[in-house]
Amino acid sequence: MRRQVVVRLSLVIVAFVVVQQTLVLGIRVGGIHPDVMVLLPIAAAVVGGPARGAIVGFTAGLVADLFLPTPFGLSALTGSLTGYGVGLATVALDRSAWWLPPTAGLAASAVYELLYAGLGALLGQPQMLHVDLAGIALVVACANAVVAIVAVRMVDWAMPSASTEGMPTAVGASLR
Amino acid sequence: MSVTIITLDARGSLRSVTSGLRTVASDSLAPVRDVVDAVTRPVGSFLAGSVHYGAVQQQDEKLRAEIGQLRQQVLQQNDAEQRLRQLSALDNLPFVGNLQEVACQVIATDTSDFAATVTIDKGRSDGVTIGMPVVGSGGLVGQVVLASHHTATVRLVTDGQSVVGASYGPSGSPAIVAGEGWGKPLSGQLVPADTPLARGTLFSTSGLQGAAFPPGIPVARVTSASTGTVASQEIVTLAPVADLAHLRYVAVLLWGPAS
Repeated sequence: MRRQVVVRLSLVIVAFVVVQQTLVLGIRVGGIHPDVMVLLPIAAAVVGGPARGAIVGFTAGLVADLFLPTPFGLSALTGSLTGYGVGLATVALDRSAWWLPPTAGLAASAVYELLYAGLGALLGQPQMLHVDLAGIALVVACANAVVAIVAVRMVDWAMPSASTEGMPTAVGASLR
Repeated sequence: MSVTIITLDARGSLRSVTSGLRTVASDSLAPVRDVVDAVTRPVGSFLAGSVHYGAVQQQDEKLRAEIGQLRQQVLQQNDAEQRLRQLSALDNLPFVGNLQEVACQVIATDTSDFAATVTIDKGRSDGVTIGMPVVGSGGLVGQVVLASHHTATVRLVTDGQSVVGASYGPSGSPAIVAGEGWGKPLSGQLVPADTPLARGTLFSTSGLQGAAFPPGIPVARVTSASTGTVASQEIVTLAPVADLAHLRYVAVLLWGPAS
């Protein structure tokens, strides 16, 4: 079962990388492109809780860093923090609620972008704060709010054993 | 663990590993990117054509098809002329001198919203390596920061991390031209207060010993200069000489600081 999760999760991450690096990079809103890789830790946290959100955030972030000119590991750090945070924030919520994925996608994506720039500046890249942060957060958040349902479905398929950390089993089952 | 990775990468201990991984990742994705691009480009063209067609229809229903076709021809011609101009310009860069160059096509822009970069279609197999200067459209475009076998990432001079050693004026006074982020003007640093700088003054690469760029490449022109009441340096803003917003073809200079 564990191997199945790893294989499926790898497939999902690769699919997101391909979509991001091919289709999404071509989409521009005011010169800013969306970032669907951000959705992976958010979706994993909604499906499986804080620990899984952090693990998926770290892994997906490392993969995303391979294609970015920003410091290697920065997306992994931001992804794990975001995943963990979303998991904690949604622990008391009904995770089967239809509105949760888009809401989490919207809010957490905006937080991710601000955190990414802030951590980048903290780690010696002050120019990361000299961008249109509000615009980036808005574009990424709105795009990810739309795609979040698909992302949650895909991550849910990849982690069928993801339980239910912090929520009643029945609710977790209903997600699947 | 993330912080450890970031620290090791920043210190250079992991640089060879991450560089290798980035090369493998980029090379693996290249064929997929080509296929997706080949599939999606006609769809995009079709949609763009539809929008264009609709606009013409509103203006003149009777002649809409003909007008649309003519406009498309003009656009294609303009596009072809622009491509030709940029390619021809690469053949005649006066500041390149005897340096060898590799002409490249820009295949993607800004892989991250936090960095001003472009991706070019030449990589290590064509002799392109990290640190090489990239020129085009009349001046310095940037520097190669990532190089895989068949593609490379170029950090533009406008990127917040870009710093170019430059010189200006008849005596070649030294200065630094720093990027402030995509779409923002460049800043001139180390220019002493009250230096008379006319609008349009050219800043070129200084090429001092150990510099990251060969000497004499035009970088930017002054757009404004002023000195504060207590400042020891002049506040100088500059505009890049190269037209970075419409980059299609650039040339990588096969040059390193040791050359």
